[in-house]
Amino acid sequence: MAYAVEMSNICKSFNKGKVQALDGVNFTLGRAKIHGILGENGAGKTTLMNVLFGLYRADSGTICVNGKPVEIHRPKDARALGIGMVHQHFMLVRTMTVAENVVLGLPSSKAPFLDIKSATSKLLELSNVFGLKIDPGAKVWQLSVGEQQRAEIVSVLYRGVDILILDEPTAVLTPAETRDFFKMLGKMKAEGKSVVLITHKLEEIFDIADEATVLRNGKLACSTEVSNTSKQELTRMMVGKDVLFNLKKSSYEKNALDSNERLKVKNLSALNNKGLSALDNLNFSIEAGEILGVAGVDGNGQSELCEVLTGLRRIESGDISVNGTSCTGREPKAFIDLGVAHIPEDRHMTGMAMNMDVSRNLIIKDFDRKEYSFLGILKSGAIERNADRAIAEYEIKTSGAEARVRELSGGNQQKIILARELGKNPKVIIANQPTRGLDIGATEYVRQKLLEARDNGAAILLVSADLEEIMQLSDRIAVMYRGRMTGIVPGASTMEEIGLMMAGYDNTKPEACNA
Amino acid sequence: MTEATAKSAFNSVISAVTAVFTALIFGFVLLWVCGYDAVKAYTTMFNGAFGSANRFAETIVKTIPLTVMALGTAIAFKSKIWNIGGNGQFIVGGALSLYVALNFKLPALIMFPLSIFMAFAGGALWGGLAGYLKAKYNANEVITTLMLNYIASFLLAWLVRGPMMDPAGFGFPQTPLIDKSLQLSSLLAGTRLHSGFIIAVIIVILCWILSRSIFGFRMELIGESHEVAAYSGINVKKTTLMTMLISGGLAGLAGWNEVFGLHHRLLDDVAGNYGSMAIVIALLGGLHPLGIFVSGLLFSALLVGGGTMQRMSGIPLSLVDIIQGTVIIFVISRAALTLKSK
Repeated sequence: MAYAVEMSNICKSFNKGKVQALDGVNFTLGRAKIHGILGENGAGKTTLMNVLFGLYRADSGTICVNGKPVEIHRPKDARALGIGMVHQHFMLVRTMTVAENVVLGLPSSKAPFLDIKSATSKLLELSNVFGLKIDPGAKVWQLSVGEQQRAEIVSVLYRGVDILILDEPTAVLTPAETRDFFKMLGKMKAEGKSVVLITHKLEEIFDIADEATVLRNGKLACSTEVSNTSKQELTRMMVGKDVLFNLKKSSYEKNALDSNERLKVKNLSALNNKGLSALDNLNFSIEAGEILGVAGVDGNGQSELCEVLTGLRRIESGDISVNGTSCTGREPKAFIDLGVAHIPEDRHMTGMAMNMDVSRNLIIKDFDRKEYSFLGILKSGAIERNADRAIAEYEIKTSGAEARVRELSGGNQQKIILARELGKNPKVIIANQPTRGLDIGATEYVRQKLLEARDNGAAILLVSADLEEIMQLSDRIAVMYRGRMTGIVPGASTMEEIGLMMAGYDNTKPEACNA
Repeated sequence: MTEATAKSAFNSVISAVTAVFTALIFGFVLLWVCGYDAVKAYTTMFNGAFGSANRFAETIVKTIPLTVMALGTAIAFKSKIWNIGGNGQFIVGGALSLYVALNFKLPALIMFPLSIFMAFAGGALWGGLAGYLKAKYNANEVITTLMLNYIASFLLAWLVRGPMMDPAGFGFPQTPLIDKSLQLSSLLAGTRLHSGFIIAVIIVILCWILSRSIFGFRMELIGESHEVAAYSGINVKKTTLMTMLISGGLAGLAGWNEVFGLHHRLLDDVAGNYGSMAIVIALLGGLHPLGIFVSGLLFSALLVGGGTMQRMSGIPLSLVDIIQGTVIIFVISRAALTLKSK
């Protein structure tokens, strides 16, 4: 029997060949199977599926659908072949109803008028068949995230797809919603649909998938039947056995007279943007010369934690102190002045002003200091000298201090942030995904700089979705799961142990294993 | 002045001049196609704007309020705060300073700076109101400043027909004249050119200094993105409010200049369509003080020269509107092009 989809030797590079996103990847999807694609961030999971859905064109390789070779140039071609995709970010018009969203862009039998009535009845029929509870008349903005996702899926099914690609569908769901979602996937399989599930959660593969493909750094790490493998094996495939980086950890000589506790957090709770609990009673402290790695699946409160620790997010209760000074309820400026450096998660949106030049981006936290201004007027000479120094010291590749940072590569942009944040010998460094999206050379550079800062006595909180990075750099490792820290373990813990904690098992409290 | 700042000033001036001249060429072709003597029309237009001392003075007289108001608009626009309420701020600033000048008997040496202060305060109050609503409740400033324009212009209509109406003015909707000692002195005998021009030049220089200052940097970061600004330790709400205070205050100063330098009283509809022209001038000048000064001059020349052209050669003033519209299209497409090239 032919496969539903067979992709062979797919290559795809970005930035004129500088970034090899996919390198000779083979992928097969069986008919009426659920196929999990696993991998770390940036492993190429979404890129591979975007190639199948026609959003990207592969540089080389062939695609067969139902045994026939096909050319997919655009999403329209994919839809004609019965392939549908639900993206991580929903593509719904929030002010319209579910039914209106579904018929959007489709020919209507009552043209030029919309045929909402027959769409509604077909939607109800679909939701019966697949167990998708959805009210076609509800406005999208009134729906919960889980319901919006069902609306997305139902609108793809409405178009009569046989092959459904879901990009990290459970990232936004609660456990109860996830259970319902998996039941629905089971029904779709029973109806003969083939499903691709992109995920980085191992548990889901074992809960629902029949086959699994693991990608690592754009290459196929393994492809297997789920029944023939184990969690340990897949984890190993995901992160790779070979240690890429050989970083030397020296130890910071602690000064016995000083209080070494640089950052202390007590009973800290905070809400996320939706007003739901994001941080739930956190307690930890970081000493000078120590890196506390925070591992965990994205969206378990790590971003909120970093924002709270830099004054960018209000806390609900608890206390934060930096170097013994309480910062509870203070503005970001207070944190900066106390020596808290911040390498933000999103360097484009938060970390730098993309339209400003390099020299000005290097001083966006210091422009009001004496060295850069006189009687309130900025000293352009001092600003340029600072830029020249930073460019030389951090080996920033740029056409000059006057170049807009927009024109720089991601790695060099990150170097600007490092130069600014680490240049002033910070007491505390909050680093959120500092190497995300960087190439190997830049990644190594960033890690090296963080270790240097640690050896110079900074207390570092390192949040990363890259377990390998956490394990290499951290002195202690905490795992965040749904706003809590499920135990803090020494840096030498095994990857399996941490993987279990990431799924919610708390090894410090064995009785709490109910996740 | 470093090389980079000189370059940005030069660029803003050059692109303003280019946009206006391209639009003029377009207008030239249009005239020619419509069967007018385009060369003659443009000669009259040029002479109308620069041909004699008096005409040149008229051009400068127009430049003064437009430039000052455009500077205020530019300060808000740099922070990506879309203050389109220049007219309202102009009116309130002008009215408040005039009220003080008419009702308090103080020596000119005190009254003069006081009236400037009141004009700034009036404009700042009107702009600050929108700024406060934006900072506190995230109210869209486009809507609030526009609404405040209407309130100010009806307020003005009421003032000049009611409490501030000139009792000896034969029922004209206008206030009494301010005392001679408070009227800005003439710069050029026999013309309406007044010393408000010097004050406008000073304001251009102050705005240039502001753009190089710590506070200017804050405003620019706010304009880049609120996330970056907050990350840099800037109080976004406070800076938003301050920006609107200054932006409105400058429009108020434009009102003061017009009232104390030109009319010496408040008239109904004293602000005309300065507000919308100030927006175009601010954008045309690339939001750079020097660029704005040059665009203000070019635009005023177009207005004054266009009026003369209509009177002398019978070509409708709509042509000037067309040229202005073309300038706007060039300004917008240039912005779109630079965005695309990023």
